[in-house]
Amino acid sequence: MSMPETETVVRQLTLGDAIREALAEEMRRDSRVLILGEDIAEAGTVFKVLTGLVEEFGPDRVLDTPISEPGFTGIAVGAAMTGLRPVVDIMFGDFIGLTMDQMVNQAAKIHYMSGGKWKVPMVMRTTMGATRRSAAQHSQSLHAWFCHVPGLKVVLPSTPYDAKGLMKSAIRDENPVAFFEDKMMYKLKGPVPEEDYTIPLGAADVKREGDDITIVATSSMVQVALGAAGRLAERGIGAEVVDPRTLWPLDETTILESVRKTSRAIVMDEGYGRYGVMAEIASVIAEQAFFDLEAPVKRIGAMHVPIPFSPPLEDATVPTEETVCEAAEAMCG
Amino acid sequence: MAKSVVMPALEMAQETGTVVSWLKQEGDPVAKGEPLLEVETDKATVEVEANADGVLAGVKAEAGAEVPVGQTIAWIVAPGEEPPAEEAAMATGRAMSTAPVEAASSPEPAAPRPASASRRGKISPKARRLAAEHGVDLDDVQGTGPDGAITGDDVLAAAQSAGEATASAPPPSAVARLMAERTTESWTRAPHFFLVREVDAGALDAHREALKPAIQNRHGVKLTHTDLLVALAARVLARHPKMNASWEGQGIRANERINVGVAMAVEDGVVAAVVPDADTAGLGDVAVRRRDMAERARAGRLLPSDVAGGTFTISNLGMYGIDAFTAIIVPPQAGILAVGKIADRVVPVDGRPGVRPMMTITLSSDHRVVDGAQAAAFLNDLAEAIGDPGAFGLATND
Repeated sequence: MSMPETETVVRQLTLGDAIREALAEEMRRDSRVLILGEDIAEAGTVFKVLTGLVEEFGPDRVLDTPISEPGFTGIAVGAAMTGLRPVVDIMFGDFIGLTMDQMVNQAAKIHYMSGGKWKVPMVMRTTMGATRRSAAQHSQSLHAWFCHVPGLKVVLPSTPYDAKGLMKSAIRDENPVAFFEDKMMYKLKGPVPEEDYTIPLGAADVKREGDDITIVATSSMVQVALGAAGRLAERGIGAEVVDPRTLWPLDETTILESVRKTSRAIVMDEGYGRYGVMAEIASVIAEQAFFDLEAPVKRIGAMHVPIPFSPPLEDATVPTEETVCEAAEAMCG
Repeated sequence: MAKSVVMPALEMAQETGTVVSWLKQEGDPVAKGEPLLEVETDKATVEVEANADGVLAGVKAEAGAEVPVGQTIAWIVAPGEEPPAEEAAMATGRAMSTAPVEAASSPEPAAPRPASASRRGKISPKARRLAAEHGVDLDDVQGTGPDGAITGDDVLAAAQSAGEATASAPPPSAVARLMAERTTESWTRAPHFFLVREVDAGALDAHREALKPAIQNRHGVKLTHTDLLVALAARVLARHPKMNASWEGQGIRANERINVGVAMAVEDGVVAAVVPDADTAGLGDVAVRRRDMAERARAGRLLPSDVAGGTFTISNLGMYGIDAFTAIIVPPQAGILAVGKIADRVVPVDGRPGVRPMMTITLSSDHRVVDGAQAAAFLNDLAEAIGDPGAFGLATND
């Protein structure tokens, strides 16, 4: 993990705090940065990620909007085209369907269709992740939808440190970036240094090294993979956990290097297994590292069902450490 | 009325056969007697005929599969009929249950060696790549992965151990492997003893010269010393049944027929092609049979029936300039005669030094079947027969 090792005592921040800090620092650094969305000002979002920002930056830069995702996303696209650097807050990732035309046909296309004369430096922050007992319309992980569209960058942080560094890069990027935060990780604590830093988009991070099997994991599944890797180590299997951090651009090199070393790969993501992020990464591995594989690439993702409201059923749809351990043990023989 | 097609037992000691290729595909109509598939035994490749009219169905052994003798490999069913689900592992005994098609009727060249892939389990892509890079035969690799899959590590381990033993030696062919197994089995299990006789081959030479033109005319084949020795040895064996017997684990089995094998060099080793009923066969028949088998051996198209059922073997290295040698018995036979070259030597003739065409013959015997005296009596009679072939009535062929 690319933490500065000279730091003797690094403060611990939650992932939510790390994102707020990134936004605040960027807003202080660049007056063009503003945030707009539902319940983001005084409420500080339903997850309290933006608490305090409206007090510091005022309602002109932290704008509460009506419940009108297509509208305020379109405003953000236009604002970005005309020189601002807006951050759109879509409360639940389940609602990105409402923003699709603005994101897919406007934000993603304008730089290309204007022959490079226009650019859309905006960020869409939204959430993903199940097990919050929020039922089928507030629990999905739909980031794969944006991954499918040329012109959009897609970021999925898995730690507070990554979240802060990636958010800063997303804001500074000249292209539209979709930034997916797992709502179950907002309280996850981790080391975040005080000084300014960014993490480039398109650089994967090896979160744990191992020789026997590679687990490519995204977002909260990185934490599940790390837990599984600890249990696998007790069983004599060295699992390497690779976090792509951004799904587009995708750091194929780091993934392939790891798989060529271990010869086995599990790809896990909280999106649906079918036609999803896992399928894409598994294909990258199969196409470029097939003759380094000892076993077929294994996908582990959300069960292909609407997320149930029933807690036991909801839990059953999400990959667990045990799911990963069983798969890894079967593959390593 | 589904009829099973089983892996035929084409030789006495055959335990498995390998499917080289199917000449009919599943669903094809087949007629009884039509070639159905090619099978490679340890010694030969042979076409197997359909044993019924119907439709080929339920093929269980793909090309390359090595299958135990007697196991069902497919079914011939009535049109529309399903093959039975249950595997009928019927014993066929050692009899040839399916007649091989005459090789002469199949002018196409020998089938390519089967890949023999299907008896293996899973092989990882990495293992395949490493096997190709290191020249490792995956048949020789023991898989340690899930479900016994062969992994890259398994291949590297095999490559390393192979590298230590023989630097990238190619894997042996079926013939070479069988030769290694059978000679080891014979040499380590059959207590060999050797009796040597020097015989005057003058009469043999003269007899050969006398019969040669007639046999050439009548049979179109050149009579050889080996042909004469096969016929003579078989006729002498008729008087020495112990020499024609076999050790069967618990005791001695007398063999009713006298089938004399002739050791023949093939590409990867040696096989003993058999002249059946050599004690009653005429010289011309022996010569034709031996010549045909020698040609098929060179072409790699020996039939299982060519190498099956031998009860005694003759190995002649005279044409290689060998004076004398000892041979390893072909199990489960009791004896093998090693024949050296005929060379002019100075020997006493009627009390005076004379130059005679001399030949050294060495009999290897299995002491579990015969003892020294019995073997000596046989060799003595054979020596006498060689000294006077005419006494055995060896004529052209009548």
